[in-house]
Amino acid sequence: MSVTFYHTRLGKILRSGAACVLALGLLSCSEKAPEQKAAQTAPAAKSASNAALTGLKGAPARVRRLTPEQYANTLHYVFGDDISAGQPFAPLARTDGLLASGAASISMTVGELQQLQRNASSVAVQIIDKGNAETRLAPRRDYLIPCKPANVAAADDACAAKFVKQTGRLLYRHPLSEATISKFVADAHRGASDLKDFYAGIGVVIEGMLIDPNVLLVADTTEPDPQRPGQKRLDSYALASRLSFFLWDAAPDDALLQAAEKGELQTPKGRARAIEMMMASPRLEAGVRAFFDDMFGFEDFAITTKDATVYPMITGQTMIDAREQTLRTIVDLLVTQKGDYRDLYTTRHTFMSPYLAPIYQVRPTMGWVPFDFPADSPRVGLLSQVSFLALHSHPARSSATKRGKALRELLLCQPVPPPPPNVDFSAVENPDARLKTARARLEVHRTNPVCAGCHKITDPMGLALENFDGAGRYRDTEKGEKVDISGSLDGTNFNTVEGLGKALHDHPALPSCLVKRMYSYGTGGPLSTSDNSAVTALTGAFAQDGYRVPDLMRMIASSDAFTEVVDLPPPPARTAGLTPTGVAVK
Amino acid sequence: MKLSRTSLGTVLTLALAAACGAPASADDTTHTALQNRTIGYALTGTHWAVYQTKDGKEECPQGVNDMGPREIFNKMFPDLGPVEKTQLARESATWYPMDSEEKFPFHTGQSKKGIGLNLDGKVGPNDLTSPDGTPGIDNQLGRALSCVRFFRGPDGIGFHFTDVYVRQNDYNRAIIELTNVDSLTNDDDVDVAIYRGMDALMMDATGAKVVPGGLERVDVKFGKKFESHLKGKIVNGVLTTTPKDVTWPFAWFGGVPGEQKFKDFRFSMKLTEEGANGLAAGYTDVDNWYYSLAKGRSTHHQSYGTMSAPGLYQAMHRLADGYPDKNGQMTAISWALQLPMTQVFIEHPQNTKKAPGVVALSGPEAAH
Repeated sequence: MSVTFYHTRLGKILRSGAACVLALGLLSCSEKAPEQKAAQTAPAAKSASNAALTGLKGAPARVRRLTPEQYANTLHYVFGDDISAGQPFAPLARTDGLLASGAASISMTVGELQQLQRNASSVAVQIIDKGNAETRLAPRRDYLIPCKPANVAAADDACAAKFVKQTGRLLYRHPLSEATISKFVADAHRGASDLKDFYAGIGVVIEGMLIDPNVLLVADTTEPDPQRPGQKRLDSYALASRLSFFLWDAAPDDALLQAAEKGELQTPKGRARAIEMMMASPRLEAGVRAFFDDMFGFEDFAITTKDATVYPMITGQTMIDAREQTLRTIVDLLVTQKGDYRDLYTTRHTFMSPYLAPIYQVRPTMGWVPFDFPADSPRVGLLSQVSFLALHSHPARSSATKRGKALRELLLCQPVPPPPPNVDFSAVENPDARLKTARARLEVHRTNPVCAGCHKITDPMGLALENFDGAGRYRDTEKGEKVDISGSLDGTNFNTVEGLGKALHDHPALPSCLVKRMYSYGTGGPLSTSDNSAVTALTGAFAQDGYRVPDLMRMIASSDAFTEVVDLPPPPARTAGLTPTGVAVK
Repeated sequence: MKLSRTSLGTVLTLALAAACGAPASADDTTHTALQNRTIGYALTGTHWAVYQTKDGKEECPQGVNDMGPREIFNKMFPDLGPVEKTQLARESATWYPMDSEEKFPFHTGQSKKGIGLNLDGKVGPNDLTSPDGTPGIDNQLGRALSCVRFFRGPDGIGFHFTDVYVRQNDYNRAIIELTNVDSLTNDDDVDVAIYRGMDALMMDATGAKVVPGGLERVDVKFGKKFESHLKGKIVNGVLTTTPKDVTWPFAWFGGVPGEQKFKDFRFSMKLTEEGANGLAAGYTDVDNWYYSLAKGRSTHHQSYGTMSAPGLYQAMHRLADGYPDKNGQMTAISWALQLPMTQVFIEHPQNTKKAPGVVALSGPEAAH
């Protein structure tokens, strides 16, 4: 199966060079596929409840690659949770604070393409699996292929067509054209005939779909906007994909595609109905988790290690649970309780697992359970959770600077410059033994004026977390000396973790940063000047609404800016051959 | 040695000096390991307490036993022969060692030193002296095992794997719970319960140590035979308990269920908030102990440790020092186990909560 296909579709891709993959995706922006010409003509009326957000300019059309989670979530929706999606992609580069924005600017090597092909082959084998009588595993082919071939050892075009039409629509996120269906049926026929196995032919088709750039790249295909003559908007299927990847972190489901097919998404009522359906779905949790996992830089959990001799309690499972604890806290407060986003930084309510309990020095209980830290506990808000404390520390010691930097960059969208290349770290890396606390060491470090500038914007709030070591475990003292956790954040002074959480809670940049990140995440690329008006309006609406994140998601998804497409700004003088980040090629 | 059931004159010995972690630093939030006058510990390893010196010359002046099953078989049947007169005959001697006299030498410990507790409160002529000079130590099993490679550390396979199996298999999960504890330093009246736990130990990042603060649920699927209740006291951080007959979960091999029926079982353990370390000691019926070993460790395991099972059986009877039968023949032998333990929180069946699984977006499971 693999060999046959290798010499057809993937072979062509590989021979044409890696850059072609991206180019294929980009080109698809400007060419509306014939199968996407469903009814999409309803004008976009303005919602009274969304009046402040009407008329906002959107973003340029983009192409972005699926994230590994989106790829896996999509496969799980289409084929079931027991399908192993594997590791098809190389890591994305964090861009403008988000991996999702990095997905709009990628390159692929030939090696990565081969990895994609191997992964696709593995998934295909799982889907056409024969089952196992000994372990009583039912053959997946019996329930994932919607028909039985007349002869399992031969091609069956009618059955193959049924599978291609049904599955292709979900993977490509729009109905396939007759020509595309015919091509895949021909592939299935050839594979079945060559290998004398109908299912092997289906496997060839699946493998082909899963390496097709039109599946792997999400393109903002556009159409003329009847409300704005001469301007463009996302077409129904691109809008369905944008909604679905934003709210569910997965490709559209059957109901959303049906709404797109009927043109309902281009009407205010239809779009609102679809958004409400998605917001009410349990799959919203996956969308919320994916966004915050990205915004908080939790991909670093995969590369964060702790010195086992210094922090023996931090195991691989501890780190997995630390990430999960924060995500559960977020989902509970923001989605279940419909709480104020800012309260994430002052809440004492979280969830506890047996592996985290020893770190927090609390009594464990089986499984994940809701947990409230008492009012006199130093554990307040996400900043005092192990995820933040351990992730933003050194392998063998805490780091007020890393924590302060993370607070600035991740939560307030305030970039902190990297240290200059000639910086002298000796005061903190190889300190005078008399300097027992991080505060004392950093004070010496800051006497170097080259270092002082940046440390002044990171350390005062990072030092407020020095009651927690590099593993996130509480401590009163460091090397026998009492830890002083007084600090400040942009003019607000405090001497407790609770004070830091409150200062962050009330910081004006906290909600505006979330809006920037979420808008950028939803629209599929880094912000540009054309997004300023949308972000400003959304930030105001978010505040008026009491900082409710699901409402913010609803506002973004409902806004004109979410679907309207602006022209590219005039390109700056650039080197021949380079393409601006994440924008479609006209 | 005459048996006494009443002695509480337990003696702190070598093992108590072993590394017990420093007391947990008083830190986070609301918690110390001692909560509601209760603290729990889980067994994290075990060794039969055998006194041994670096070169072994003090306790085994004739050397360690070098006649295991293979060597003895070759000696007995150099020309082989019918299976019933060779292999089966030797197997029979292993399973019924009381029916024949073992002719091959089996060396036992000759040192007057030993690790264990003074079970009867007396100092008898056959008693041992602990390395710290405490006389009256009763551990004749330790003498019987002293010159058997299988039981000598650090690389005797019995020494090594009996210890490892405690951490790697859940069956050997002996746990103890101290209640009515006012202080881990001095308390003249505490209750000590022994249970079998059901949860895996939480290993640290090095993979070598157990993290304090884990959870152990009491497992009652074997009924209450592993549950025992003892009275105890804590003096200068050392827990001692009154003697009581106890059934102790003990898998000689892997996680294969087994047990030791101990007589006059008692603890002498140094306590901290992070762990407990010390000894359990008592008597055990010689035949019961021998058959638990023979069933748990097959001939090839015995061969790796050059251990002659019939030789050990007869040595145990020679050294037996407790529970005389009507003829005055001792039927039980004193023993000691070295027991490192780590602090855990113990959950009883009636308090066991159903794991909530994933957090629901709404509904009762999402409530506090």
